[in-house]
Amino acid sequence: MSEEKGLSQITNNTTKNLIKLIRYVLGNIPGFIYILIMFYVPIAILFAISLTKPSKYVVSWEFTIENYVKVFTEATYYRILWNTFLIVAVATILLIIVAYPIAYYLARVAPNIGDRLLLFTIIPVEINYLIRIYAWRVILGENGFLNMLLISLGIIQKPLTIFFYSWFAVVIVIIHEYLPYVVVPFYLNLRGIPREIYEAAMDLGASRLQILKTITLPLSKPGLLSVIFIVFIPTLGEFAIPSLVGGQTGLMLGNLIDRYLSQFNLAIGATLSFFLLLFSILVSIIMIRIFGYEALYAR
Amino acid sequence: MARDVVLKVENVWKYFGSVIALKDINLEVYRGELLVLLGPSGSGKSTLLRIIAGLEKPTKGHVYMDGEDITDLPPYRRDTSMVFQSLALFPNMTVYDNVAYGLKIRKIPKDEIDRRVDEILELVKIKELKDRKVTKLSGGQRQRVAIARSLVLHPKVLLLDEPLGALDLKLRKELHVELKRLHEEIGNTWIFVTHDQEEALTLADRIGIMNNGMLEQVGDKWDLYEKPATRFVAEFIGETNLITGKVKEIYEKYIVISWKNINIIAPRVSGVDRGSEVAVSIRPENISIGSKPITQREGTNIYKGEIVDEIFKGSYVTYYVRLKNGEVIRATVLSKDAEYDVEDQIYIYWDYDKGVTITD
Repeated sequence: MSEEKGLSQITNNTTKNLIKLIRYVLGNIPGFIYILIMFYVPIAILFAISLTKPSKYVVSWEFTIENYVKVFTEATYYRILWNTFLIVAVATILLIIVAYPIAYYLARVAPNIGDRLLLFTIIPVEINYLIRIYAWRVILGENGFLNMLLISLGIIQKPLTIFFYSWFAVVIVIIHEYLPYVVVPFYLNLRGIPREIYEAAMDLGASRLQILKTITLPLSKPGLLSVIFIVFIPTLGEFAIPSLVGGQTGLMLGNLIDRYLSQFNLAIGATLSFFLLLFSILVSIIMIRIFGYEALYAR
Repeated sequence: MARDVVLKVENVWKYFGSVIALKDINLEVYRGELLVLLGPSGSGKSTLLRIIAGLEKPTKGHVYMDGEDITDLPPYRRDTSMVFQSLALFPNMTVYDNVAYGLKIRKIPKDEIDRRVDEILELVKIKELKDRKVTKLSGGQRQRVAIARSLVLHPKVLLLDEPLGALDLKLRKELHVELKRLHEEIGNTWIFVTHDQEEALTLADRIGIMNNGMLEQVGDKWDLYEKPATRFVAEFIGETNLITGKVKEIYEKYIVISWKNINIIAPRVSGVDRGSEVAVSIRPENISIGSKPITQREGTNIYKGEIVDEIFKGSYVTYYVRLKNGEVIRATVLSKDAEYDVEDQIYIYWDYDKGVTITD
């Protein structure tokens, strides 16, 4: 955005600014090349593959748009995309509900020891996530705590498998997995709000609840936007968690891509990646439209 | 003349852990005045202001407003409003929303809010910025929003904690004039905290000087300048020559002080005995310079000295004069009368009554 502005400012001027323009372009070449090689060349290759005829093990290099026609007209993919979105949306909302009070507590109620307490929320997540998933099996699995409890209470007769192999399990594991990535941005965000702002609101007559509503929550927008970009959008591509605990109802688009790739159907896998990428870009644009770029760095 | 006391601070002490921030503060604030609390950073002036606002509780002592004990009332139950050093504007809101905040909290009808906000924005001259986001304002404009946000509530006492600290000198001077005008137009009581003595002298009706958690002296600014009660006050307000020595002799109206082999005569004050240590403050502008010893005049200290340095300050010149005991005295002269050069042998003199004897 700033580049466009910079360019238009420069180009609407005369010869004197031509040197400036050349400098501007030359100065930015290394950065462009870096980003190009690291990010856009791989994407271009992937895009090229998505345009080839599906064939096992190798890329056929016979170009066609059939894959796109197939993916974009097939209702199943939209259904799974919708399922993916739903799982991630529910998980993100629950994550915010769980994480925000933690971040608020650390930043406002315990500001002197907040940094150290923050470690306590991060350390448990340092444990290998496969182990944590299996820990959930002890609770949600067929012979797990939840089933045993429900049987002993007489609510169900036989153990149910839906607790562990379902979208519900996917949501729970995503929450467990990503909690610190939600707590930390909100914590940094809330800690950055000067104490005098709260004091001013209190001095002007606001109660704690009114301060939360009128000051703290609106000023949490940068944290929210960080969470959307750090957790929500990347998690749309999650495949490990649903393939381990998703079962039938917890199927996500990432599983599908994984399935095609493991069958060495690179072309369809690549096409589906772009299907998901388009959706992610769409969500990003909508979020930026709602919150504005400046919410990312300014208050 | 007994004056109407709106706010009274009585025997207030404040500890932060084992650190003493305020020591036995007693202060009466008169209705409608602009009182400035002046002191170096760490002197406790902001803490005192925060106690008056209710943002801190005193460890000991009481705060009264119109006779009512408000020591334990939370800030939102007091008829005070604070303008913070950082201004603490709400960055997520427009100028209007910032100023209307306190009124909205009080559930005042929308049309009355609009009327009062318009009125106050007109008063601080930023009406045209009403719908602007506060993050898009200049320093001086933000300042006005902060003051409007507090004033719109018609607080009995407005508290200002170094609100001009972040602004450049030129803008500060403009705002000093504005603030004085505002205070006169609105007519409520203001307590203004600053570390800048020039700011204090410009704004204040009365000044309270704070140092090391103590309120050293409160009074009319002329009184503070002419009759400082402590050495700190003498040195903090304006420039002065502070001479310390032992009392040698005591007469009816004057005392003789021995200051490194030079005798100085200064007014007698109560509580001075022979041999006790006192200080005398003589303002540089009260010291005259002559090239000849003026005929011995009644009631004048006269000393021979040599000019060791001169500093030109525009309308006046400060001479540094070394006396025969090796000490240096500063004397200021209007530039048009400044006819001396460095190394000139001259005489300095001042009336006994121009010295202020300090016994702290």
